[in-house]
Amino acid sequence: MRFDIVYLWKYFWKILPYLRVTLEYAGLSLLFGLIFGSILAAFKLQKYRIIRYFGVVYTAVFRSIPPVVLLFLVYYGLPQLLLNTVGIDIQNEEKILYVIITISILSMVSLSEVIRSAYTSIDKGQYEAAISSGLLPIQAMVRIVIPQMIYVALPNIGNIVIYLIKEGSLGFTIGLVDVFGKANSLNQNSYSNYILEIYTALALIYWFTSILLEKGMKLIERRVSYGR
Amino acid sequence: MLELKDVKKSFGKNRILKGVDISVNKGDVVVILGPSGSGKTTLLRTINFLERADSGTMIFDGKTYDMKRAGKKEVNFVRKNTAFVFQNYCLFNNKTVLQNVTEGLIIGRKVPKAEAEVKAKAALEKVGMLDYADYYPSRLSGGMQQRVGIARAVAVSPDIILFDEPTSALDPELVGDVLKVIRKLAKEDITMIVVTHEMSFAEDVANKVIFMADGVVVEEGTPEEIFYRPKEERTRQFLSRIIPVDNYVI
Repeated sequence: MRFDIVYLWKYFWKILPYLRVTLEYAGLSLLFGLIFGSILAAFKLQKYRIIRYFGVVYTAVFRSIPPVVLLFLVYYGLPQLLLNTVGIDIQNEEKILYVIITISILSMVSLSEVIRSAYTSIDKGQYEAAISSGLLPIQAMVRIVIPQMIYVALPNIGNIVIYLIKEGSLGFTIGLVDVFGKANSLNQNSYSNYILEIYTALALIYWFTSILLEKGMKLIERRVSYGR
Repeated sequence: MLELKDVKKSFGKNRILKGVDISVNKGDVVVILGPSGSGKTTLLRTINFLERADSGTMIFDGKTYDMKRAGKKEVNFVRKNTAFVFQNYCLFNNKTVLQNVTEGLIIGRKVPKAEAEVKAKAALEKVGMLDYADYYPSRLSGGMQQRVGIARAVAVSPDIILFDEPTSALDPELVGDVLKVIRKLAKEDITMIVVTHEMSFAEDVANKVIFMADGVVVEEGTPEEIFYRPKEERTRQFLSRIIPVDNYVI
């Protein structure tokens, strides 16, 4: 078997447009993960033990389920659950929805830990100084605490985003056509004659994406470094 | 101008304040002394509602506050008319020196930006930190950070400034600069309460010294009364353990 660089090039460009799908679920999962992860982190920082336990148990449960198992549970179980309990029919929704739900649940758990540790790393005194300067508690959070949390959390968030992009490739198991799904179908259509070229092209796409993301993260990091 | 009556506070089973009364007149420099764990810092923090007292009354600028139940608006009003200087400076690390000082003016008090900057620069000038206006706190020494912390407090023209051990986190050679700034403010008749362990500073600057131990005020009076003619045995005991440090030439 010989490796044909021409085909590598050709497949690279055939797969690349589907990066849009990959970035879409990664971006949306990150967004939902950040929103719900913040809520989960707030739970874990509560002084009431029951609420705190809920956060800890939630984390423990979802951290131990393999992503593909969770995806199947969401894909096959959630539509029935929603139909039987609240009467909402999502059976004909696009497959990307299930991938987004699954990765959001997964990323929420890791992001909540990142957010929690970023919060505890910021000295409580700055919050106190802000409210005693006459800022309202919400202003103190938004203007003083959260910008510094972002700086602390950014490297970890970057890692999580790259992880999201890779985990999302499991979407092919329910028939989602992202970069991985596309590569798979190209491989089948060519009877695995160009299997190495196709998956090398795919690896390159993942690689470039990761590099670009890392560069982007570094740029943001520099913007929020405040003289450090 | 400020009066506290019967302030009580416990952390769990630990009774930190067991009914403290103090009163401060306009222009007073009140120094609170006492061994660690005596409740000095907690008392100061309850004034600014950074700590909620379990019970107690505060009269501030003619208004009476229930220190346990004061609502959000009352709390915010008190905070806007007082200023707090922290032991660990607690500068906003994501803001420059100038922004640290303008933050409370622009955001807290809705002062227009240009006016806020004029006030902030005047305050920074007063503490000798105007040259560092564009620096981020991480690039300043502890003593410089604390002077910015004081400028942040002064800039909002509060009725009273609360100093919580402003020099105890500093390297010894930096203490003098910070004390010099506080002395300067004292001369300008700015009302303040200072929790400190700097005895010579207390003696020079205070017009009232309060000695606290185990959550109560043991004794209060002028610096001469407390340092040279203490009435209570507990005060004598405390003072005898503190070696007077007179080597800050200012």
